[in-house]
Amino acid sequence: MAVPATKERIVEAAYALVARFGPARTSIEDVAVAAGVSRATMYRYFPGGRAELIDEVVTYEYRLFFLRLYEAISDAETLEEVMELGLRTAHRAIEDHDVLQMILRTEPEILEPALRAQSSETRELVAWFLTPYLERHELAPGVEVAQAADFLARMVLSYVGAAGRWDLDDPAQLTELVRGELLSGIVPQVPADR
Amino acid sequence: MSLAAIDKPTGSPQRGDAASKRVAIVDAALACVAARGLKATTVDDVARAAGMSRATLYRTLPGGRDDVIRAMAETELARFFSALAVAMGGAEDLEAALVAGITTTARWVQDSAAIQTMLEIEPDELLKNLSFGEMDQALAVAAGFSAPFYGRWLEHEQSLRAAEWATRIVLSYLLDEDEMIDLTDEDDVHGLVGRFVLPGIEALASSTRTL
Repeated sequence: MAVPATKERIVEAAYALVARFGPARTSIEDVAVAAGVSRATMYRYFPGGRAELIDEVVTYEYRLFFLRLYEAISDAETLEEVMELGLRTAHRAIEDHDVLQMILRTEPEILEPALRAQSSETRELVAWFLTPYLERHELAPGVEVAQAADFLARMVLSYVGAAGRWDLDDPAQLTELVRGELLSGIVPQVPADR
Repeated sequence: MSLAAIDKPTGSPQRGDAASKRVAIVDAALACVAARGLKATTVDDVARAAGMSRATLYRTLPGGRDDVIRAMAETELARFFSALAVAMGGAEDLEAALVAGITTTARWVQDSAAIQTMLEIEPDELLKNLSFGEMDQALAVAAGFSAPFYGRWLEHEQSLRAAEWATRIVLSYLLDEDEMIDLTDEDDVHGLVGRFVLPGIEALASSTRTL
């Protein structure tokens, strides 16, 4: 479904204001002025008012985030490469995302509901993206593609959300995490004597 | 210091009384949260449920509502970790320890009326500590607690990684439920751990590399 141009303009204007002033200091009126629409138009598109608008801004940036990520990693050829590149790129994109980091510092609570509402959708998206890589790869006996894709999607999202004990900027650690930990049960292990 | 020396001053009725009052307040607070959620629970509700006056509650927990919530969280966490220790301590091998850790956590969440009510009516109150930087801290606490139970089979560093990994799995399946895998079901968790987790941990354990 195509997004109406006006709605997109409102969301983009809102994002720009949130980026500059933070969500708490972004009012419906400010956004209306910045987008060049009336208050009535604002409420026609966002009957839920400010909360709905902020939710939409989060969703909009969230989709852009995955679109950019998709573009950055779709050249990877193997399952191992796409997981390493994906983890590293997504981790850096989050760390370097000024607006996201500002919101996390000041008002993390506005992100939670939006992110949680999308968690299943995101997992399915990542699993869908990994599926062809799994289909092309030789898998350990008994491993089903759908099951492995779902599990890997969950783990990728977990590590991207919080790196824990791992340094995802360190290529050696990334390799160990992906090839050693995450894929050991999924791809056949080369016997030592071969 | 001898036991007798500790016992004398603290063995007074007041001290024992305060400890049991604290437990009564915590259990009353849990019942209130189970009934109407955390946000709607007041100090008066808790005092009434505990069968004590407001003044008595404040004498036991002078910080009022904030103290009640803190005491409730601390007590529940201690109770949960005790249950986890019992379940994981009895495991016979690494796979059983991982399965015990995961299923015990999932069952604890499922059986806690207070957690279930909050998940239903005010998930933000419960889950705001589980994203990005906050999540790192939650992982560190959970992994730090459960790692020693893997120490019978793994080196320290690998224990921490195994513990962190198990924590990630629990959080992922609890926050985003799966139709195929029920973490309270031992067979489901055995399948998941045996297929996807154990090989990774064994690979790390057999690698000579240390960080």
